Amino acid sequence: MSSLNKDIPILRVENLHKWFGKVHALNDFTFDIYPGEAVSLIGDNGAGKSTFVKIISGVFPQTKGKIFWKNEELKNNSIEMARKVGIETVYQEQTLVSALSITKNIFLGRVITKDKFLRVLNLKEMENKSKEVLGELGLNVSSDQEVRFCSGGERQGVAVARAFLFKAKLVILDEPTRAISPTGVKKVMDFIKGMKDEGIAVILISHVFSQVFQITDRFVILSRGEKILEKKQKDTSVDELTDVLLERH
Amino acid sequence: MAIDKDKIKLGLIDNIVWIICIILYIAFIFLRPQGFLSLQNVETILRVGSMVGFLVLAEALVLLTGNMDLSLAQNTGLSAMIGGYVIRVMFPDLSGWIGIIIVVAVGGLLGAINGFLVGKLKYNAFLATLSTYLIFDWATFWIRRGTIVKLPSIFVAAGDYKIGGVHIAIIIFLGVAFLLHLFLTRTEFGLNVYAIGGNPKTTEMMGIRVDNVILGVFTLAGMLAGLSALIYIGYIGSVTSLIAQGRIFDAFAGAIIGGISLRGGRGTILGALGGIVMLGIIDAGLTMLLITPEARGVLNGFVLLIAIAINMYITKVRDRILEPR
Repeated sequence: MSSLNKDIPILRVENLHKWFGKVHALNDFTFDIYPGEAVSLIGDNGAGKSTFVKIISGVFPQTKGKIFWKNEELKNNSIEMARKVGIETVYQEQTLVSALSITKNIFLGRVITKDKFLRVLNLKEMENKSKEVLGELGLNVSSDQEVRFCSGGERQGVAVARAFLFKAKLVILDEPTRAISPTGVKKVMDFIKGMKDEGIAVILISHVFSQVFQITDRFVILSRGEKILEKKQKDTSVDELTDVLLERH
Repeated sequence: MAIDKDKIKLGLIDNIVWIICIILYIAFIFLRPQGFLSLQNVETILRVGSMVGFLVLAEALVLLTGNMDLSLAQNTGLSAMIGGYVIRVMFPDLSGWIGIIIVVAVGGLLGAINGFLVGKLKYNAFLATLSTYLIFDWATFWIRRGTIVKLPSIFVAAGDYKIGGVHIAIIIFLGVAFLLHLFLTRTEFGLNVYAIGGNPKTTEMMGIRVDNVILGVFTLAGMLAGLSALIYIGYIGSVTSLIAQGRIFDAFAGAIIGGISLRGGRGTILGALGGIVMLGIIDAGLTMLLITPEARGVLNGFVLLIAIAINMYITKVRDRILEPR
């Protein structure tokens, strides 16, 4: 299956630029990621990480440059299209609606309906599927529980459950370990490992890269919109990455 | 079992407005038994309640998305006036049925204007609907300052006729409320309404067209305002330029008393229905106790304050029950 061909990058971007007025938020950025690979994007605030994530997630378009999905150019990308091809993004602000149940959050925007006209929800099937995926992820939460009662780790888990359920090919986790307990961090690392084992490519956006060092295959450092370093995990260390970041600060 | 106990507690809390309605009704039975013990009184409360009730449902719907519509009562007035004017003054030979369609369609169109401003052009809902409040209000007077009478019988039927001793207005109102409840709790559109009220940014990021949902909600709310107009027309027997004047406060009060959150994303149609019934019971009770309209107005304000306090308390209790242990 082409989707599992580990020699073809699942996502490749070439010479990506993004201007916000006079601000050059992303400058000639080229990047690729392969199935089952975890790449950490590192950089200070304003480095261009979130801009890149939002471009490939279809939130806004690039000013210049090309995006390729499995070697085919992705034109007129949108949130809908990105999700359709299999890009699932878990934003820093966590894309969950606190007052809705876990099940409704998992299916938000992609509900199972009984008909096409009125789009009556098939709540039973949605409930069963979310229970199944939560069980697979080892998340000990009730699927009808409101998300606002979930811990930080559980919230990440719910977002990851969404990626699992809809068979995402690329999952982007924006600050996945932010504001969660050490137990939660371990849980998130387990989720990431599980995704890699399933052949899902993972992009990690993190300030605290020491937490994601072990799980990462490749590091890309961004500074003021430009790529300043790209190294495989086995060829670098936390100290080296820290030094590079401090030098550019 | 602990779980069952929690379910009972939640059931009581979620339906507190109905419990208060029952307590109030019993209290008024003691104060005015001759009035409150008759089924006729219940019918009257529901009939009168149905007029403003459509506005409460409409406001509840908009509030659930985290927005508000200040122009709903003026929408009722203008759609009634346009409907009456078209079938009585412009085209006197038109069927009353056409008039009914015109009133609901105009209501929907006026609602869609608000939806376009808020959903598509991202206007602040308060300011947008305050502007359309003025436009709709003065447009009504512009068309006719006064009354349009001698309306076709079918045009006044919704607010005047009875089936089996029960006014059609009540049947239509309860039917619409039930359908709206199903629509909000069982369909994708309903889920999106709650999601937008809970977190519009997140909902947008999940690929949902928030602008379209808001446009749809305001349009639907406008159609409910149009239905309210039909009930008013039938109740009064004519179209006047003062239909539903000042009723926007009742629309907000009913929704808030019924537990609809002003922040959006929380509340039910069943609760809003309770808010309508409670306002109706209080109004009927105070009228029978010969309380002056001025004093009733003041009391209604206090009722609203008490309702807000109860809702704040209930939210806390509800969270305590729902929080996983």
